[in-house]
Amino acid sequence: MARPPKPEYTLYERGVRAQLSDVSAGYDGSDVLIGVNFEARAGEVAFVSGPTSAGKTTFIHVLRLALLPRAGRTIILGEDIQRLNAGPRAKMKRRIGYIAENPVFVEDWTGFENIAVALKLAGRRPRSFAEDVDELAQFVGLADEISQPVRSLSNAARRRVAIARALAGKPELILADDPTAGMSPDAGRRIVRLLAEMRRVGAAVVITSQDEGLADYAPGARWRMEHGRPVPAEDVEEAEA
Amino acid sequence: MARPFADADRSLFWTLAIVAFAAAAVALACRAVDRAAAHYEAERAGYAVVRVIAPEGPDAIALAVAALADAPHVTRAAPMSSRRAAQLLQQWGGRPIDPATLPALRLIELELEPSPAQADVGGDITAALARAGVTADVVRAPETAGGGTMAARARAAALWGGAAFAIVMALIVSLAARGLATRRRELVAVLADMGATRGQAASRVANEAAAKGFLAGAVGAVFAAALGAGLILLLYPGATVASLRQLIGVWDVAPLALTPFAAAAAAAMGARAGAESFYAQAARLT
Repeated sequence: MARPPKPEYTLYERGVRAQLSDVSAGYDGSDVLIGVNFEARAGEVAFVSGPTSAGKTTFIHVLRLALLPRAGRTIILGEDIQRLNAGPRAKMKRRIGYIAENPVFVEDWTGFENIAVALKLAGRRPRSFAEDVDELAQFVGLADEISQPVRSLSNAARRRVAIARALAGKPELILADDPTAGMSPDAGRRIVRLLAEMRRVGAAVVITSQDEGLADYAPGARWRMEHGRPVPAEDVEEAEA
Repeated sequence: MARPFADADRSLFWTLAIVAFAAAAVALACRAVDRAAAHYEAERAGYAVVRVIAPEGPDAIALAVAALADAPHVTRAAPMSSRRAAQLLQQWGGRPIDPATLPALRLIELELEPSPAQADVGGDITAALARAGVTADVVRAPETAGGGTMAARARAAALWGGAAFAIVMALIVSLAARGLATRRRELVAVLADMGATRGQAASRVANEAAAKGFLAGAVGAVFAAALGAGLILLLYPGATVASLRQLIGVWDVAPLALTPFAAAAAAAMGARAGAESFYAQAARLT
């Protein structure tokens, strides 16, 4: 008799790519996130705004499996992450595209080489992915910069390389932690639009930002970080009214 | 993708090469000491002198030599001439000695085959002589004098000293290679973010370190070989480039052959440990 699918997987089949229930997390002795309830669905964008130190980055760290919650239940891509060992948890990261506030690169490598890391990790050969990397670079708006060492690129170009790298593995869950930090308003809007576009290929997109106004360029659910938890923005507005 | 010979990498490479050279050179020196001590020990253990006590006269010496031809352990027996005795005494005492001034000798020099330690070589030879009607005693170099224990000590010192030096050099290589992991820290962080397992991220850095270690080890071994060959030509009487192949055995070059592999293994271990530690920091924040 076939075993019934795990409830986590049923959630995944229903399009839920991330679900946090009463999750608390933090560092050392202090809790940063308290009782978080959140859901990200395939083909949708969740825009989470909040001031500095509101816990946006910690929230993204939980979603990208870098920080294990202290309490609650975290289901990412159909797996309860607290039940996963280090190896499977690492492999699951390949299905998550992460754009950090300050992306880390191999600075001496070119943009192309940095983007290709994800594809090499997936076991693809350079000949087979060269065209894909070029297409991705075009998609994110990188031109000649792709063949330059990352250390020589502007902040905006670095951010684009980070986005291309995050998208290279065709992730199902895209997490962008304040992706427009330090960019001009125009460039920031373009970046948010670009990320939001990824919902069309079926990915769940979570964007955090201090700039609430950028939510207008990311159609989807709007959340606001309040007292260590993301709260639907309409609830906050109602409460404020 | 990696640029193997960036400035910092080049200095690492030469650090590893110099350490590998030192390790290989010391290993060769230890092997030379071991060979010299083993040779000395074989020479010492393979020599004895028979002193014929009775009967007297030249016939007794001839009788004893004939008996020794069939005696156990003996490969060669020859009566000691006055000239040979004078030569030996001069070596020992330093002054020239006239052979004519020496009395008639009742000594026979023996070359012995290698025997097990528990064999009573002197007793067996004395018994063989007694069966032929010759009373004699066999004088061998005593264990406690004439370098008997020194050779064994020299061999042990060469072995353990060489091993200790090799371990210290391996530690230096390992620590230097850990520096490579530090320089690849950003790569490890990127790989961790991208979903590489700890093993994959650490192997990426360890393989690079192993390749550098192997190459540096090979360069160090080549320099050590050149130094070793030069010293043999300089110090070994009659050695020529053509005769080097006869002088050098397979076991003599073993340290050179092992150096690149040992350097690669030590470098890979150091780099892997460093990369694993950086991976742990990058992959999890708690």
